[in-house]
Amino acid sequence: MHELLLFASVPTHQHAELLQQLAGLTAMQPRHCFERRLIFKAYRKPGVANARVGASQDLQSGDLQRVNKMLNGGMFYTQVVGPIQSADFADAGVTDAAANASANANPNPVNPDPDTDTKMDGMDSESSIPRSAYDFDQQSWQLEFRDIPEAGTRSAVTSRVMATAALPRGDIVPSMNAWGYSFVTEYLVEGDMFIHNDIVLNLHRVLHYPTNPGEENQPRRQMPTLQQMAPLEKSGSYVLQASMMVQDGSNQETMKTASQHLFGLREQLKSAVRLEMADRLSLDTRVK
Amino acid sequence: MADSFTLPLRPNLEKSDRPDTLPVEIAQINEQWGGFRDVNEEVLLAKLAEEEERGGPLDSDEDGEKKEMDTTERREELYKRRAEITQFAMASHMETMFALDFISLLLSKHAPRQAETSMSAFLKQVAPIGSLNSEVVHPPPKPDSVNKDISTVSRGWRIQNFNSAANKLLGAASRLEKEVEAETKYWNSVLAIKDKGWKVCRLPRERQSLGVQYGFMEATPAFRDRGLASLRRGNDGSLVLDQGLVPSGLRFVRVRVKRGSRITGCTKPPGVSSNDAESIEQRILQARDSVFEDELFHELVREARAMASCGVTTRQNLIQIPAADGLEILLDLVDINDESLLAEQESSQDDVVLANGVAHSIRILLSFAHRQNLHRRTQVPLPLTPKRRPNPEYHLLRPALAYLQHISEARYLESFVHDIVSTLRSSGFQIPEFTAQMFSNWKLPHQHSSPSALEGLVASSLKPIESVFQGNLLAPNSSFTVRMRTNMSFPPFGTHYDVSFNLPSVPDLKSPGNLSLREEVEAAVSHLLLLDVVMKIASTQTDEEKKTEPDTPVKRWWDPIYPHMGELLLAYDHPEKHKKLRIVLSRDQLSLETCLVRCIDGIGIGAAEGRSQHTETKTWKLQQSPGIPNQQSSAMDFVTAEAST
Repeated sequence: MHELLLFASVPTHQHAELLQQLAGLTAMQPRHCFERRLIFKAYRKPGVANARVGASQDLQSGDLQRVNKMLNGGMFYTQVVGPIQSADFADAGVTDAAANASANANPNPVNPDPDTDTKMDGMDSESSIPRSAYDFDQQSWQLEFRDIPEAGTRSAVTSRVMATAALPRGDIVPSMNAWGYSFVTEYLVEGDMFIHNDIVLNLHRVLHYPTNPGEENQPRRQMPTLQQMAPLEKSGSYVLQASMMVQDGSNQETMKTASQHLFGLREQLKSAVRLEMADRLSLDTRVK
Repeated sequence: MADSFTLPLRPNLEKSDRPDTLPVEIAQINEQWGGFRDVNEEVLLAKLAEEEERGGPLDSDEDGEKKEMDTTERREELYKRRAEITQFAMASHMETMFALDFISLLLSKHAPRQAETSMSAFLKQVAPIGSLNSEVVHPPPKPDSVNKDISTVSRGWRIQNFNSAANKLLGAASRLEKEVEAETKYWNSVLAIKDKGWKVCRLPRERQSLGVQYGFMEATPAFRDRGLASLRRGNDGSLVLDQGLVPSGLRFVRVRVKRGSRITGCTKPPGVSSNDAESIEQRILQARDSVFEDELFHELVREARAMASCGVTTRQNLIQIPAADGLEILLDLVDINDESLLAEQESSQDDVVLANGVAHSIRILLSFAHRQNLHRRTQVPLPLTPKRRPNPEYHLLRPALAYLQHISEARYLESFVHDIVSTLRSSGFQIPEFTAQMFSNWKLPHQHSSPSALEGLVASSLKPIESVFQGNLLAPNSSFTVRMRTNMSFPPFGTHYDVSFNLPSVPDLKSPGNLSLREEVEAAVSHLLLLDVVMKIASTQTDEEKKTEPDTPVKRWWDPIYPHMGELLLAYDHPEKHKKLRIVLSRDQLSLETCLVRCIDGIGIGAAEGRSQHTETKTWKLQQSPGIPNQQSSAMDFVTAEAST
């Protein structure tokens, strides 16, 4: 599958206004979502890189090539993405039982405002471990592979090969290690999603976890409070990402249609934000 | 603007201190009439009348001509005028060119190069360059009287111009005032519409005008785009709803119920509140309703075409759906004000209710389909492929049809089971009452008001409808269940029955499985009950045996040899005296027949069983309408009597 993308930077003061504009354009309410994103890095396991060991003459040359390519080809960073709810964040104002009850009563809170209970938890809760209804063992995960964007395309959109796959729930690190990936770090994406015909509009920003010593080398089993998360971009600005998926990237016709749809959206949003293609090397996912 | 001040725009006309002097007037009369001699009253009156006559009829003639002018004359007139215009234009062009040539020739003396460029070729030929000169000539000084005349004339001109300017300004002011009034009225009504909650926006194609959105965002694109009308301003500032080319007539989808060849039920057109039928709000509502009805009928026709396999036929403006048992539903889109709709029809109350129910259900289902579209639209889209995704028909008719078919089948089955159970009861068998659980898979949500609960309720009506009939049999621990489900949304279509039972006394009995005809179900249920009756008769003896002391001689009793045929045998030592009992059970009849047979083994059924020639046949029959108590003895008494003889 291919993915065609356009990006725009949205300063904080424009965020609320753009949310309204996008809601009007797409005729839908924004869907607020949080995503845990774990970054994994591929590494070569020693001893398996050589396909010519032993009686490799039996292999067909085509098969051999393919296996060699798989073993010695380029290696990539991949992301493991897990959607979470706003109720999953630790909140000192909610006791364990209450959190459970609210999670049971309302498993899918619609567009919860993360700022409603800013004042409810005092800062004295730093010492006590905040609890939430978050269950790490039931966390669902999805593997997202993104290639480096294609070079030398005439068209003014970023296009890259992509693939997603569902992963088992719970602790994903052992499985990923078994496949030759090591955990690097994790971050959180907070944002709103809109759908406009075939285009997914994602207005999001990256949040960093508060740094606690000893938690860096594995995914967190508990979520901190949302207020403890710090945006990566200090000004708090957002990124608007317009993306479109194409089943068959080799079909020029559909690729053209898709990029034309994106250009149409760019024209429509011209007075609000400037959507443009991203720098190719900034989206490089290769392991060097 | 209370303390507005008035600004005099008209020039302050100086009243001439005195009227024209007498000598001037005398001179004027002399000039006009040639002396006072011929001027008297009659002559002046005649002159006036003559002028009037000449002026008056001329105008009226022109008016008449204008009215009578037909298209050819008009065209001729048009051509003539156009020719005149071109002639004028040519003449003025010529004059301009002459003037240009003249000026060029004049200037050519001083700036020959420059002047040459603007000279015409003809002039260059006939006149050498620089052959014309000009000099300033000082005119002789004008006499005072002429100067005075000139100043008077220019003063008059100025006054005239001031006057006309003032008139224009005042006209513009009054026009502006009117415009402001009209605009205020227009914007007030626009605000009133907005306050009522309608979405007012700019028209996408016509950026400068306003529109109101009343349609349904999730409708088919053709109808979604029709849900936007522009709000135009009438001349007096009134709001005009401009729907473009859409016919303004109000139409609605009429549902009629037809039994046989008679229309027995029909929906009424939705009432139009006449008191404020002309208010803009009302018109917006009407426009919205008619868009909805048009879309509804469009979708109904689309679905009806896909349902041709179910016997649904479509005409240009009519959908005919054969529902069940000679019942037919007719759907058409008719004008709301059509007088012929009011024609009296013989209608039954039930069918009117039925028609209204169908009409409401298709509308609810269309709204539900809109909601589903919204849900689908706000999901993450699938990757783009060259194939176009199919646009499936909405489920509007199919749930209604499934309901009608299901209820008809369920009622039939209920009446059948009821009849056959009462037949058995009247014959003296104490069969327990059966229970019918209609629409067992429809459950009312606990919260009635939340949108998701309501959507769930409607969604459940799109699923196959299920009803369960359950009853206990005469034998202990035995029961039967008929589970019927009707499905019109996906194959297999129609009503399917699942007959299951628990009858331990007949161990080798297999379930008939899935049945799809009501006759098959009827046969299966009556067969089951027949078996039950046979087993009941056979087991009565064993029950009695247990009660009596073991030392009494064993009484002969009926032995079910062919239970599936309803046959029991009373074995006897003498081979000629075997007695056979045959039970026949149908919906409203139970008959028992005994006869003597010779041969009991093998396939001794019917003619081959070797009936004794000389023995009499005894029968017991129940043939009465259920409810009247049976005068005869019960079937069990007959069986017992036959066994003891």
